[in-house]
Amino acid sequence: MPEVSVTPESFEMVFYDSAVIGEVVAEVAERLGIEEAINLEIDEQSPLGRSKIVSYDPIELWVDGGALENTQRPRQFGKARSRDTIGRLLIRILDRRSGRFDDAPTDEELELSQFAAWDVHCVGRLERLGIGGQQKRRQYQFRNRHGFTDVADAAFSQLWDSSELSWTEIERISEECRSS
Amino acid sequence: MRKIFPAEELARDARFIRQTNEQRLSDPRGARVAGGNASEQLAKLTPGLANGPDRARALMHGIFVGEIQALEGAGRTCWDFEVGEDVPLELKLDMARQCWDEARHCEISVSLAEHMGTELGEFAENGLLYEAACNPDPVLRLTGVNRALEGLAIDVFNTMKEFGNLAGDPVLEFCEDWMLADEVTHVKMGSDWLRRLTENDKERLDKALEFQKVVDRLFSFNGFRGEDDDSPIQLTRRFRELAGFSDDEIDEIADMSREARAEAPS
Repeated sequence: MPEVSVTPESFEMVFYDSAVIGEVVAEVAERLGIEEAINLEIDEQSPLGRSKIVSYDPIELWVDGGALENTQRPRQFGKARSRDTIGRLLIRILDRRSGRFDDAPTDEELELSQFAAWDVHCVGRLERLGIGGQQKRRQYQFRNRHGFTDVADAAFSQLWDSSELSWTEIERISEECRSS
Repeated sequence: MRKIFPAEELARDARFIRQTNEQRLSDPRGARVAGGNASEQLAKLTPGLANGPDRARALMHGIFVGEIQALEGAGRTCWDFEVGEDVPLELKLDMARQCWDEARHCEISVSLAEHMGTELGEFAENGLLYEAACNPDPVLRLTGVNRALEGLAIDVFNTMKEFGNLAGDPVLEFCEDWMLADEVTHVKMGSDWLRRLTENDKERLDKALEFQKVVDRLFSFNGFRGEDDDSPIQLTRRFRELAGFSDDEIDEIADMSREARAEAPS
């Protein structure tokens, strides 16, 4: 199991337990084959669902408290949602390290449509690993960025079902929808 | 069958989790509003926001549970009051028609949830709409529900309709448009009955309008519903006029929203 450090160690605004969070992060990392240490910083003041990779090496992640929340029970920790949030971040790190994404823009430079396309490819693979899912939710996000069309739906399926696309392939699939 | 059915006993299956107003308002991070949160600087809800589609999903789920409660509330109004003693038969007929509309809206909302990738019960349910529908005075009940909350629904549906239009999503756009047309009718019913039932009772009219303001204020976190370009939910002046609101009343809601916004933490 990789070593995970969670900041803060205790929470005032939400009913989270840093030890439980650490276990979930370690479990997801292990399933993805990540063995190195991970630092996770949580902004418990924010109920939003933002997340980002602060550093690729060493691995440092940052999330809004809301990104780990149970949407049915506000302020309570949501295991499934946390797996999804952390899984999406970690699989992007693996993509960037694979050499297949050397020509991808930096995270800050990604357009919403590019991010949505890559995210679909990430979540599709995570679902097959038993981490996260919500295919229809991701399809709705993808359609918002690529159109409510048959072309966009076919592109979504290709991104979701593929095992290891390169950035160039993801960008091409995304671009073809937008130009159709 | 008993009159005035308590909000905490409404029937829900295991998918639904209720969040009380106390829980919602005591969240130190700010209350959930418009699919976002009162603590953030809420931008107008559009697909162009990074979290736009997810906020739309959450808001649509809020609309869905609101439709269930509106159906329950209108149904209770048909039952809770006696014809002649409390209300005219025509008022009950209006409420029966509203039940039919709300039931249809529930079905539309379920289909929209599926369309947007939302599971029923995915988000916490707040029971404020039905609680307003428990007022023992039928005039206050209709004013609080049909004018305040269904009035808010006009603004929400119009915002969601525009969201669908901007996203190029004809399913969302047309569904919201159809429901919006019904909401205008519901608000008009509230306006008409308020006027008719208080024609010779100024005190009751004032009480009803005060109750409407209380309900409106409860939904004015951070002034999220307003006329400013960046208001997450746009106050829809034209449809409110069609629904029987005077210019002064619309101005008052806009002012209330502006005040709430100015008082919001930066």
